[in-house]
Amino acid sequence: MKASCNWLRELVPQLDASPKDIAARFTAAGLEVEGIVEFGAATDSCVVASVVSMRPHPTKSGLRLVTVDRGGPQQELVCGAPNVPDPGGLVVLAPLGTHLPAKNMTIGKRAIAGVESEGMLCSEDELGLGDDHDGILVLPAGSAKPGDRLSKAFPWMRDTILEINLTPNRPDGLGHIGLGREIAALYGFSFAVPDVVGTGTGTGTGEIGQLVTIEVRDPERCPHYGAAAVVDITIAPSPTTRYRLQSLGVRSISNVVDVTNLVMLAWGHPMHAFDLDRVRGNRIIVRRANEGEKLTTLDGIERTLVSDDLLICDGEGPVALAGIMGGASSEIQPDTKRVLFEVAWFDPRSVRRTGRRHGMHTESSHRFERGVDPGDVAQVLEHAVAMTRSLAGGNAAKHRMHVQDTRIAGEPTPPARRAITLRAHRLADLLGIDVPFTEAVAILERLGCAVVSKNDKSCDVLVPTHRPDLGREVDLVEEVIRVLGMDAIPAELPAVRASRDVGGHEELARRAREAAISVGLSEAITYGFTSARALEALGAPKPTVLLKNPLGEHHAVMRTSLLPGLLDAVANARRQSEREVREFTIGPVFLQAKAGGDGLPNEQLRIGVVLAGERGGWLEKPQALDAWDAKGYAVAIAQRLGGTPAKVVAVPATREEAQVHAPHLHPRGAAFLELGGRRIGSFGPLHPDAAEAFGLDVGVLVAEIDLEPFVTGPLLPQYATIPRFPAATRDVALVVKDEIRAGEVESAVRAAAGPLAEGVQLFDRFVGGPIPAGSSSLAFHVVYRAADRTLTDAEVDAAHANVVKAVGDRFGATLR
Amino acid sequence: MGAETDPTATIDNELSALREAFLPRFRAATTEQTLRDENAKILGKKGELTRILAMLGKAPPEGRKAIGAKVNALKQEVEAGFETCLRDLRKAGREADLSAPPFDLTLPGRVPVALGHKHPISIVREEVVAVFRQLGFAVHDGPDVEHEANNFTKLGFPPDHPATDMQDSFWTKSNHLLRTHTSNIQIRAMTTLKPPMAFIAPGTVYRRDDDATHSPMFHQIEAFLIDRKVTLAHLKGVLAEFAERLFGPNTPVRLRPSYFPFVEPGAEVDIGCVFCKQSDGTRAGCSLCKHTGYIEVLGCGMIHPVVLENCNIDPDEWSGFALGMGLERIAMLRYGIPNIKLMFDNDPRFLAQF
Ligand SMILES: [Zn+2]
Repeated sequence: MKASCNWLRELVPQLDASPKDIAARFTAAGLEVEGIVEFGAATDSCVVASVVSMRPHPTKSGLRLVTVDRGGPQQELVCGAPNVPDPGGLVVLAPLGTHLPAKNMTIGKRAIAGVESEGMLCSEDELGLGDDHDGILVLPAGSAKPGDRLSKAFPWMRDTILEINLTPNRPDGLGHIGLGREIAALYGFSFAVPDVVGTGTGTGTGEIGQLVTIEVRDPERCPHYGAAAVVDITIAPSPTTRYRLQSLGVRSISNVVDVTNLVMLAWGHPMHAFDLDRVRGNRIIVRRANEGEKLTTLDGIERTLVSDDLLICDGEGPVALAGIMGGASSEIQPDTKRVLFEVAWFDPRSVRRTGRRHGMHTESSHRFERGVDPGDVAQVLEHAVAMTRSLAGGNAAKHRMHVQDTRIAGEPTPPARRAITLRAHRLADLLGIDVPFTEAVAILERLGCAVVSKNDKSCDVLVPTHRPDLGREVDLVEEVIRVLGMDAIPAELPAVRASRDVGGHEELARRAREAAISVGLSEAITYGFTSARALEALGAPKPTVLLKNPLGEHHAVMRTSLLPGLLDAVANARRQSEREVREFTIGPVFLQAKAGGDGLPNEQLRIGVVLAGERGGWLEKPQALDAWDAKGYAVAIAQRLGGTPAKVVAVPATREEAQVHAPHLHPRGAAFLELGGRRIGSFGPLHPDAAEAFGLDVGVLVAEIDLEPFVTGPLLPQYATIPRFPAATRDVALVVKDEIRAGEVESAVRAAAGPLAEGVQLFDRFVGGPIPAGSSSLAFHVVYRAADRTLTDAEVDAAHANVVKAVGDRFGATLR
Repeated sequence: MGAETDPTATIDNELSALREAFLPRFRAATTEQTLRDENAKILGKKGELTRILAMLGKAPPEGRKAIGAKVNALKQEVEAGFETCLRDLRKAGREADLSAPPFDLTLPGRVPVALGHKHPISIVREEVVAVFRQLGFAVHDGPDVEHEANNFTKLGFPPDHPATDMQDSFWTKSNHLLRTHTSNIQIRAMTTLKPPMAFIAPGTVYRRDDDATHSPMFHQIEAFLIDRKVTLAHLKGVLAEFAERLFGPNTPVRLRPSYFPFVEPGAEVDIGCVFCKQSDGTRAGCSLCKHTGYIEVLGCGMIHPVVLENCNIDPDEWSGFALGMGLERIAMLRYGIPNIKLMFDNDPRFLAQF
């Protein structure tokens, strides 16, 4: 909402604070001023000049040399405008050095086609007063003296505009009267609504009931429809209202249209003007639309209506979407002689639904949606009639017509005002400060509340109809602190009575995050939504949460895997030629709702990992990351989450298992992660088909781990006695066929080494050289130790000989 | 034997020759090993001095004692000379080592595993959670996909009201919605637990906005406290404490009345601008705070009695406050991130900065 400081001062004559101060007060009371704009700032430095004479430019056609009188020495200027008035006419001169903010230019000495010009004759556009740039601004003859400063001679050309960001609960702030009342209350001034009554019951021009009939068929959506008519008017441009409207962002159209806009900007109550002679059948009918009925609104769009839309119709059909926008057929025209004004109160929810349905948001619907004052219909109508008569002449038809349900009368029945009891102690209870009750009551009265009964402990308050937001006691408490200012509240720490965590996901996610960064991964934040196609490409479970109104196909379903977001990150990085990506993301996947639950999807917290690029640095030869890197990260994260005693095991998937349970993984490198025998995730190289679907080449590794099994926290390690006796280590290198997996050999070594073996560790795998093709050499450290003595070489050798024999027998492995 | 020369003289000669020679030979050694070798050549089992000593047997018995003494004296001289040279050599070696050209420590360091990086949103999230935990709040989770009632109706959002414009939602085909704020957790807590309660609720939220300054998914943290006699002053106290702990000492807090359907009174919270803070704690004003010295960081208010009633809590007995903030905004303020979109691109070069 744009608010004119001049207008506020007209409404609140005591208000002499600076715009900045006013803005600060509004902001501190919750009407946030987001900007202060100087309207017509150039008029402070421009002066009125009268044309003395004029001659053609010596060399350039289309330019003229104009001599003007600016109240001192005469001055000759070059001017290209076609509309320089005859001698004696008044124009606006921007003298040398004037800054024109609208054009961001400063008038300097310059030569135009060889003739020096010291100053410039200005258009409205150049002065920042409007968008008319067809010619210079010509002032009415005799309206000012040459040499007068423009803003002095025409104060309405100069204003300061506050741009207020109103919260949707304050429809009263959408008009200057509401804002005037508010600022008066904030400064502690009295406020009176301007008196607009008694401006024309008219003489001899008929009675409104003879000019038009009004029928409201849906009184629920239109509980009050008020109408007045003014006849014998003259539609004309409206120079006196032009700049005020312009400064408030509204284009001046004609005197009568300007009236409707100015009245709306005064009261915050939109109204409509019909050309009475174009209201067919001299009838107005307020009714709901028939399904499929059509109306072309003023913006030229043909709307197909539904039965939930409220219409204003004349004798032959719809002429306006109630409270939103009129149609072209009954619009005010240059030849309009008789105007019918509509001031109504429409149900906010109905206006909002229709506006949203048709994608329309207008100054009018904006106000009706928020709830205009149901109590000011008669005043608004009167104001419109009075202003019309002063701007467009004519006479008001006798009487007004107010239709309220089945009642049709010249005066409306005032709407009931809500009564609220305010208990004095509630102020301290909620605010934590003592506000004298009388002070609180005074504040409420300044805001338009009527206090009907009062004692020390409580009072009954009648809420004004312009404040639909005041619904209960707490709203009155808020009004008090709003006006007092929240700076009055001290900061006081409460004694917090502790609660316990509910859910445990936040802590679980934090632990997973710590685990992942500790192994060198960086955290990505990925969207909860993805596309059904991306999930399909990964063979992820079919999405169960489908969005009704997604932003696009790419975000149409809730993910059932964390991988699409991570793969997008890799694709993004690749587009930036970044090859190294080691990221993880933590978040829910959205799975089928659990039976017997609340119907919401099962949100399962997971961690996803993606790896792409190379391992190694300047010290060793870099090598592409591979399946064993994926295994290393996946196992490390799970182990950290599970705690030292947790049994985290990577189990390679068979081709069949991979196809069913991890189709997104390359079948050669697919594996599952198990915790205590329960499958909790998978890892491996991305399947080339899946990689292709994401626009990626090979060499991308992924892992995805369910975090729910870790929610109870890591297993606690149990202390084991630190060995007192030394260990003996023996190495064994075995040449085995490639079909035999290292894990099996390791288990066999461990089994054969017997109880003295403390640990078995693969430390080298070697192929080529002397090793026959199809085989590899696997070298293990075997650590032997006894808890109660130092082992002899003979004991160790005996145990170790058993290893060599057993493994040789079992796998046909030869000692290398 | 008569014509033979007297071995005593030969021994004497050789001893004096050795005495002349050993030190220069030691000095000529440039490494510890060559010095030791040289030493062994003289004093070793087959060394020169041992050889000379062996000649002693041929000397007349009466002169042997004197020669033996001479040999011993020379041995001690050699040993001392060796020690000196060894010390000198080591000293020279250390000096050479110390004055050798420096290592090129511009080469990357060797780390077993370089630590990864938390997302800036997570860093802020964890810190905010930690601050509220210190103040006695516990964490309450909630789902992203939510019932309409928990997200809107029970929070007192009027149907078909412009207040819901502020939160344009994504709806699912089962008529649930993606929560538009973490305030759904208030409702979940209040409908399942009895007051008093003090919770912090971080989470992912979704709104149907996607432009230069909005992401359709973002993050919020909400804190709420319900107890007897909770006042706006308590809310301000918690906010002041929060601002001090998250944004540093001397961070003033300012409340401006505002409107959120589920609180009354409601307010927006400005904190002292973090960009133009002077050493004396004042704010100079800058373009980021529009020269006001304050920046808006969160919304808050006293829980609306309607919300309490909707959860069967008597507003005359219990009162509470709620406050909520967008984590993206705080991360952007804190780290100078100019564009919200950067936070969802997951560019490794971005993530590595935090
Ligand atoms: Zn600043």
